[in-house]
Amino acid sequence: MTTPSRLNIIPLETDVLVIGAGLAGCMAAIKAAEKGDLRVTMVDKSNSLASGAAASGIDHIWSYIPPVHEKMGYTIEDMAEDHRVGTAFGFLRKDLFYLIAGTMYERVLDLERFGINFRYEDSKTPGRFRIVQQFQSVPTSFNFDGRPLKVKLTAEAKRRGVNIVNRVHMTDLIETEGQIAGAAGVGTRTSDIYFFRAKAVVLATGRSNRLSRNPSGINFNTRIPGPLSGDGKSMAIRANLSIINGEFLGGRLLTPCGYYNPNYGDPRNTVQPAARIVDSEGKVIVDRTEFYDWGKLGQEPFDAAESRRKWLEDRNDWRRKRGALPKRILKGEGPFYLDLSEATDCEKEYIRWSISHEGKGTQFLRYFQDEEGLDLREDCQEYAGFANRELSGTAAMGVWVTSDLETDMRNLFGAGDEVGGVPWAASPGAFTMGWHAGHMAAGRAREAKAFLPAHDDAVKARREVCANILTGERGFHWNEVELYIQNLMDFYCGEVRGKELLERGLERLQYARNAKLRAENPHELARALDVMSIMDNAEMVLRASLERKESRPAFDFYRGDYPEQDDKNWFVFLALRKEGGGSFSFRKIPIEG
Amino acid sequence: MPFRHIYFKKDFCSGCNMCVDVCMCDALAPNPTKGEPPIEQYPDECWFCGCCVTFCPRADKGAIEIVTPFPMRGAFAKTKGQVAK
Repeated sequence: MTTPSRLNIIPLETDVLVIGAGLAGCMAAIKAAEKGDLRVTMVDKSNSLASGAAASGIDHIWSYIPPVHEKMGYTIEDMAEDHRVGTAFGFLRKDLFYLIAGTMYERVLDLERFGINFRYEDSKTPGRFRIVQQFQSVPTSFNFDGRPLKVKLTAEAKRRGVNIVNRVHMTDLIETEGQIAGAAGVGTRTSDIYFFRAKAVVLATGRSNRLSRNPSGINFNTRIPGPLSGDGKSMAIRANLSIINGEFLGGRLLTPCGYYNPNYGDPRNTVQPAARIVDSEGKVIVDRTEFYDWGKLGQEPFDAAESRRKWLEDRNDWRRKRGALPKRILKGEGPFYLDLSEATDCEKEYIRWSISHEGKGTQFLRYFQDEEGLDLREDCQEYAGFANRELSGTAAMGVWVTSDLETDMRNLFGAGDEVGGVPWAASPGAFTMGWHAGHMAAGRAREAKAFLPAHDDAVKARREVCANILTGERGFHWNEVELYIQNLMDFYCGEVRGKELLERGLERLQYARNAKLRAENPHELARALDVMSIMDNAEMVLRASLERKESRPAFDFYRGDYPEQDDKNWFVFLALRKEGGGSFSFRKIPIEG
Repeated sequence: MPFRHIYFKKDFCSGCNMCVDVCMCDALAPNPTKGEPPIEQYPDECWFCGCCVTFCPRADKGAIEIVTPFPMRGAFAKTKGQVAK
């Protein structure tokens, strides 16, 4: 490979810039381009046809569903309370929850218009939906044909005139007097430096990933796509914005195969819950989930408090039993299995259908069925579902925003998994926050008469960083440095954290920051930029873990030196911010009930 | 890591490079010879999303195939009712 001498600076102007073309980014761009009066540009480090956490599909989204829940007598306030106590363990931005739950149904109707199927002849629900239980005490999650989502959303964005720029890894936010003025990025196939000027920007790059070693030994065998490296949070912290819940980012997963594991029918945990968890003797640990009887919808009065009480009782029992599995393994017990022998043929077919629309599901199915001869009627799947800590991966950690999704920087909005404060916001968070952020950004772009002067200091600095990585005799390959960070996080920021270990972790992180990275080509340069984002994310997790001086078992956050939960001092969102001089500050943000 | 998990069938792959276009990880590269199957340039950066297969216009002929790497295999117990009594 020859070293490219490109590094050309490519200047571009747009009214609204959307960073990240996953579900949130696509929805933001589609909404911002609705009236056709603005130039809207959407940038992705991959290809919007297949990028983001839902790149290859998603089969479920939770929502308040008026035609169903009104008939049931279940209100959106009931749903918010279910989510607050049963799913978010109190750590919930209720304002953002109402934005998500209260507008997701409208977005479902939009998605139908964009060509996604949500209706099924065999359904007994109003609207002929397929609805299952997930994060609240009653069924609130649509199952649907979500595999083509990204193709349909990309087509809709194009139809509305959105300029899609693929294969650009965004690296820097450019600010002028407290307002967003643009952003910079690097072409992943060209190493050219992109300099966008924009009147309003939506940041939607998704979750932080690759902070922990994968037990399978395969780098990118992670739950969410490998390319997601927390670039938005990295940009945000370097732009002096606040990040909350960094300490709750999950640790490593305990499984023999990594995340090539569909968890067919995992009870309670996902949306195909017809299996039961059994031990190697066949003894049942967790019973299968019973599906809601739609025949009784609206037939009997609904008691929200009683519904919640029963659900919490069951959910806590499930958590306790499931949470005990890793400890049982340490005692020499296990393995454990998912067993579908109590599922009906119809339910097994439903599982197959559902999985085929979710993420890597198509590959799972093909491999397990064609190569391993999997027979859901007779075979048990080894159960690797005890990754409780992953909760925080689903948007608990993220940028602090207003109720209208604006960050501390005027005209810069966050959306989807970029935003902190709603655990398990996930895809509904992306669809709804994306839409609203697009609406807000378009409004601000219309208000702005001209572009702000945008300094090119950050662009020139980024060019220099890239030139340095692409040149020189020696330097470390990105993957070496990434493995170093993952080892560091697993050791110094593992299951139980403590002051000295975390401080030593920060020292060693600084050692990694001083490493000279070397890339042979644009692809390796882009991966080196991933690693730089990963370092920023690792630092946020280490620093926030050091600051939170309590343990919080609900999030699997344990401080050996502060073993008790301390609600008096720590029932707060902890916001981390980098100050102008490079030091970090914290503030405690009260959680509104 | 030297994985070998993306296979092209020369007889069916037209070298259209759709898989290269959509690969989120940029794991594939076009073949320098036009019309030939792409090259799996960075096999250990695959996320196994399967988009290279689902987007392939000749997927039904098996022009491209993902083979699950060995460390990720064998997650099912062939129980035939042995485990769940």
